[in-house]
Order: sequence, then C-alpha cells, then structure tokens
Amino acid sequence: MQKILLVEDNEMNRDMLSRRLQRRGYCVVTAEDGEKGLLLARSEAPDLILMDISLPAMDGWEVTRLLKANLSTRHIPIIALTAHAMVSDRKKAIEAGCDDYDTKPVDFGRLSEKIENLILEKKLS
Amino acid sequence: MILQNLSIKRKLTLITMLTSSMALILSSAGFLIYDLVSFRHLLTQDLMTQAEIIGYNSAGAMEFKDEPAATATLAALTAKEDIVTAVLYRPDGKIFAYYFRGSATLPAYLPSRLQGKGYRFEGGYLEVFHDVTLNGEHVGTLFLQSDMRQWSMRARRYAGILIIFVLVSGLFAFFVSSKLQGLISNPILHLEDTMRMVSANKNYAVRAVKSYGDEIGRLIDGFNTMLSEIQQRDTALQSTNGELKTRTQELEEEIFHRKQTQEELLNAKHAAEEANRAKSTFLANMSHELRTPLNAIIGYSEMLEEETRDSGKIENVQDLRKIQTAGKHLLSLINDVLDLSKIEAGKMVLHLETFEVSQVIEEMVTTLQPAAAKNDNSIHVHLADNVNMMRADITKVRQILFNLLSNACKFTDHGTVSVNVEQIKVEDRDWIQFQVRDNGIGISAKQKENLFQEFAQADASIARKYGGTGLGLAITHRFVQLMKGHIWVESEVGQGAIFTVRLPAQVVIETADSAQPESASKAVPVETKTGLETILVIDDDPSVRDLMSRFLTRMDFHVVAAANGEEGIRLARQVHPLLITLDVVMPDCDGWTVLNRLKSDSELAEIPVIMVTVVDNEAMGLDLGASNYLIKPVDRDRLAVLVEKHRVTRSSTIKDDNPVPLSYVADRQADRQADGKTAGRRVSKTRRN
Repeated sequence: MQKILLVEDNEMNRDMLSRRLQRRGYCVVTAEDGEKGLLLARSEAPDLILMDISLPAMDGWEVTRLLKANLSTRHIPIIALTAHAMVSDRKKAIEAGCDDYDTKPVDFGRLSEKIENLILEKKLS
Repeated sequence: MILQNLSIKRKLTLITMLTSSMALILSSAGFLIYDLVSFRHLLTQDLMTQAEIIGYNSAGAMEFKDEPAATATLAALTAKEDIVTAVLYRPDGKIFAYYFRGSATLPAYLPSRLQGKGYRFEGGYLEVFHDVTLNGEHVGTLFLQSDMRQWSMRARRYAGILIIFVLVSGLFAFFVSSKLQGLISNPILHLEDTMRMVSANKNYAVRAVKSYGDEIGRLIDGFNTMLSEIQQRDTALQSTNGELKTRTQELEEEIFHRKQTQEELLNAKHAAEEANRAKSTFLANMSHELRTPLNAIIGYSEMLEEETRDSGKIENVQDLRKIQTAGKHLLSLINDVLDLSKIEAGKMVLHLETFEVSQVIEEMVTTLQPAAAKNDNSIHVHLADNVNMMRADITKVRQILFNLLSNACKFTDHGTVSVNVEQIKVEDRDWIQFQVRDNGIGISAKQKENLFQEFAQADASIARKYGGTGLGLAITHRFVQLMKGHIWVESEVGQGAIFTVRLPAQVVIETADSAQPESASKAVPVETKTGLETILVIDDDPSVRDLMSRFLTRMDFHVVAAANGEEGIRLARQVHPLLITLDVVMPDCDGWTVLNRLKSDSELAEIPVIMVTVVDNEAMGLDLGASNYLIKPVDRDRLAVLVEKHRVTRSSTIKDDNPVPLSYVADRQADRQADGKTAGRRVSKTRRN
C-alpha cells in the first residue's frame, strides 16, 4: 500500500482529502503544520507528500526546501498545493524543488493522476 | 579731388570767392588791355605828330645843309622824356643830325635801313619814320624812337591798382560769402547733426528745425516726416514688445500652472492606479479566501456522493450532484473575477506553444455539447483546409472559444451555433480567424457599447434569466488583446450574433528578447527507423556530448549529437527524435534561439526539449516551451526519469490511434490552472485510460 503524507493546516481540507485518498486505497498520514510534516516525512518515509503551501509558522516552500536538502527525504516526490493560481507560484514551486504543482480547490481526479504519475516515476527511477 | 572732400562750408566760400574774383580779374584785365591799347595808339599819334612838327621845322635846315640848326631843332626834344633817339637822314641815307637822350655817342642800335612814312614797334620801342619835304620835295627822313616810358608806367600802375583791387574785393567776397554760405550750409549741417544724434542715441523724438522754404527746407521736412514715421513705428514696436513680454510672462505662468496641474493629474493617476492595483490584489486575495471553503464544499459533496453511491442511497446522489454543480459554478465565477484581477494587476502571462487548431476546436465543441443540448441547439463546425498549426497560449485560446461558444449556446434556443475557422492574410501577417455565429436573441446597438466591459451584462434582467458574472466577454476581450488580436461583434436584436476573433497565427511575446519565431515549415518529416528511440543531444562541449551519449545509450536509446544550434535543428528535421537535450551557452546560435526555432516549427514543435545547462533561468526555458529544465552538473537519476517518462508518453500516444475521447471534457478550471505541458500529458493519459 502506497503511503502519502498530507501536510495541510485547514482541518476540513485535511479530513476531506485524507478520506478521499484512503478511499482510493492509499495509506494517509497527516500533519497540520510544517514541523510535524518534516518529522513525519523522516519517520514514516512516505511514497509521496502533498504539501499545502500556506502553512502557519514554517511555510510549505521552506518545508520542501528542507526535505529536498536532506539525503533521507530528498527522493520523496512532493506535490505543492496552493490557493494562489499564479504563474509565479508554479515557478516558485519548481524552484523550491517540488516535483509537481496543483491549485486548490483540488480537482480530485486530476490530483490523483498526478499522484499516480509521480509514484510511477519514482518506481521507474 | 581734395576740393571734393572739403566741407560744404569751405566749398561754398571757395566757389563764391573764386567766381567773383575770376569775374573781377577778367573784367579788369579786359578794361586794362583796352586802355593800354588805346593809350599806345594815342602815344603813336602823338609821336607821329611830333615827327611832323620836327620834320617841318627842320626841312629848311636840311635844304640849306644847316646842321647846327637841325641839331638844335632836335635838341628841343629834351622836353619829351620818352624820346630816346631822333635822327635826320639825308636822302642818300647818311645821318644829317641826331639827338640821343642821356649820351652824346651814337647808340648801338639804329635802324639798319630806312623805310617810308610809318611806325613800328621794335624791341620794346616805338619807332616812327617821317619823310621831310620842302615844297613837295623829299629832302630827308626823320627817325624817332620812343621807349614808351609813359605807357609802361601806366601799365605798371594799372597792374598795381588791379592787384590791390582784386585782393581787396577778394577779401570782401570771402567775408561776404563766409557770411552768406550759412544760408545753405547751416541747414544742411543742422540736418547732419540731427541725423547723427538720432543714429547715435536712437532717439527718434528729435526733429530738425526748418529755417527756409527752399529745397533744403523741404529736405528737412521730409526727414522730419521720416523720423516721425520711424518714431511711430518704434513706439508701436515697443508697445508690441511690451505686449509680447507680458504675453510671454502669461504663457510662462500658464505653462507653470499646467505643469502643476499635470503633476497633480499624474499623482492622481498614480493614486488611482495604486487604488486599482489594491483593488485587484484585494479581489485576488478575496477569491483565494473564497476558494478555501469551496474546496471543502465541493470535496465533501464529491466524497459524500461516492460514499452514498456505495451505500446504495441513490436518492441522495442527485442532491449531492446539485451541490457540486452549484459549487463548481460558484468556483467558475470566482475564477472569472480572479482572472480579471490578474489581468488588471498585470500578472497575466502568456505561455506560448504550437498546437493544432482543429484539436482545440474539437475539444471545445465536445466540452460544450451538454450546454448546447440543454437549449436544444446544434453546433456546426467548419474548419478551412488552410488552418493547421498556430502558436499561442492554448489555455487562453480555449477559454476564448469556451466563452464565445457558451454564450452562443446560452442565448440561443432551438437554434444553430456555427463555428467557422480559417487562416487569412491581413497586412502581410497570417491570422487565424474564429467566427462564432448563432441565431439567438441578438444584441442591441446600445448593449454593444458596453459588451466588452467588465461587470456589464446586456441588462440586469439577463443576469437573472441566464446567470453569469458578465465577465466572460471582458476576459475574452483582454485575452485577445494580450495576444495582439482583435475581437468584434455583428448583431441585431432577434437576428442572432456573430462574434469574430482574429489572432496572429504566430503570437509573439513582445518583451521576450528571443528571436522572432520563423514561419512554420511545411517540409515532410524524414522518418527514420530508429526515430522513436533516438535522442538528439545539442551541446558544444564534446565531453558533455560524450557523457550524455554513453549514459543514454546504456538506457537503450540511439543518440545523435550536434555541436551547434544549426546542426541541431538540421538533425532534428532529419531524424525527428523522441527527445532533444539542449545546452544554452553555445557559440553563434544559442540554446534559446534553437529552442524558439524548434518550437515555432510545426514539424518539430511536438518534440519535447529538456534544457541541460549551467544557466539558471528555468522560467525562460519553460516559457519558450521547454518540457524540463536541468542544471549542470546533471543529476543522472533525474535525467533518467525524465527521459523514461517521455518514452512512455510517446509510445502510449503512438499505440493509441483513437481520436480524442468524449470523456475528455476539459473542465475550464482544469485548463486554466494546468499549463500546456500538464494538459498535454493529461491528454495522453486519458487516451491511455
């Protein structure tokens, strides 16, 4: 079973997304802020991370940078989720080391495609 | 010549003096000559009379040879001062008697020969010959010589008087003319003075004083008239000057005021722009805030729908669907607002790529089929043969078509919506023209005025009846403008509407410093057997080419390498590789240019390009159409993943020959958010599924 770490501060979104992912057959671990996300990424070794960008205290960009800088976590694909549908955000996501990017509200079909894609890529590599 | 340069005063004096003196001298000389001539004549007569008397008195003595008597007679001449010589000649020419004044000796000069009765002037002397007769018989000749002492004395005296007279009268003439020349010269000198004064002081108020009514007087009159005219003009000029100065000052003040106003206006403009930006930012932020709860609404309702379906409570599914539809509608409205605020905040960026027009049309028609069906409309598409590829922002082209088509479907009932696409040439440029025609309710002239304005639906009742934010056409208009295209509408109430959008076949981002894309080449691609498994490496560094070749060969790819951009493009045409890796820093033709040319070539545009470079400018690479961007030194694992992914994508596309499935309903939201690349990938995925 593929394990997905969901870092999201909004309780409803966290609950909704984790439940839907579970329905798709993923094992979901959730974190409500960046620091917990960072800890869980190391301890749980998920296959993929869904990272909300606008987090309190340490934002998603920062968490992503730290994860990508660490040897034990750098291989985990990260999909950034942002409410800012700006082109500059897409650039920023790539720059921070995210492997893909999606905007909220999430189109669940599209998001799960992206997740599948990245997990496939990871397998291939 | 010297005379000519004398002052007029001198000239006048001199002329007067010379004239009067000359006249005086001439007349005096005439008179003198006349007097001297007549006096000499008198003297001659007198001497001849004397000779007659002496001849008569001495005739007897001659007859009787009485020499002493004759000498005595002659001696009587002593009384006559001027007679210097008197000689009596005998008929044979011998001297008979003589008289010489002052000396007893015979003078040296005596006439060489005698002559008959008469007189002559000889060597300043008057000489008279007289025949001495007695009773009619010639007895001898008398010779008298006078030195004309009286005459020369008279002449000398007269000359003296004349000189004195001339001198005195000359003096007098000088005096008089000196006095009188003023009559002429004074006014002239005065005129000259005045003139000098005027020209020196530029004082045109001065006037010459007129003394007489003669020509000079008239000259002065003329001069004065001229002066007053000049004065008048001068005054006029001065007043004009003054006016000009005042006007200039006024103008300067006006300019100053205007500048001030301009500055104020500029400040106001800046303030307004700032306010507008703030508004846009607020709207953007607000939209994001609105999206978060919507996220939950749509997400939960979707989830609930799934769960409800699983648990068999079918009756609730419809209601949950309605929540989803309403949520998605609300989302699209929010997205419209966000789009508009992004455009207004200047944050809307074009992502150019080359794509097939027919494919976009097909997608859109499929997407809008449900909307058309709702009002029992049918959609007809006519695609001209010359329409092929275009380079533009595909997401925005989709949205433009979506807006126009959904409007057409929305405002038409039981009608026809037709889409016409053709490629035309206007002003030497290629344009793709989309025409969406319906036979719906139409648009009145008044409604047309605000048609492309934000928040301006044809009228308020329409919002109630048909829904929508009224932003669709405004956004469409802005997108068309962004791509340097044109949009216009032809319509009448009840007669339907024709919306025409004209976009450049090759949209160019103005600010990009890259070269203009070349026109799409129509050359037939040369398919090689190994084409699909071939990767083209373009890099000027031989070591990089070598490493990449070895690495990719190990992954079972056939590798073709090019050392420069030109060769790279040529090889790309020849082998039509699966993938191209491209360096940026190369001599002559750099990577950006190569990328641009690859992407603007309809034949090569589809080939994915991975930038492999030391230049850290991913944004530019992606903007120009690169699929991925790797920074040297290359992470081999990442490269392997990317290359593998493209192999998978390509092979799946090739295996599946089906047209775009109907299930691919491009959610507008999805299209908007996904960039061209992800959208493309999704298409292939969908096909695979």
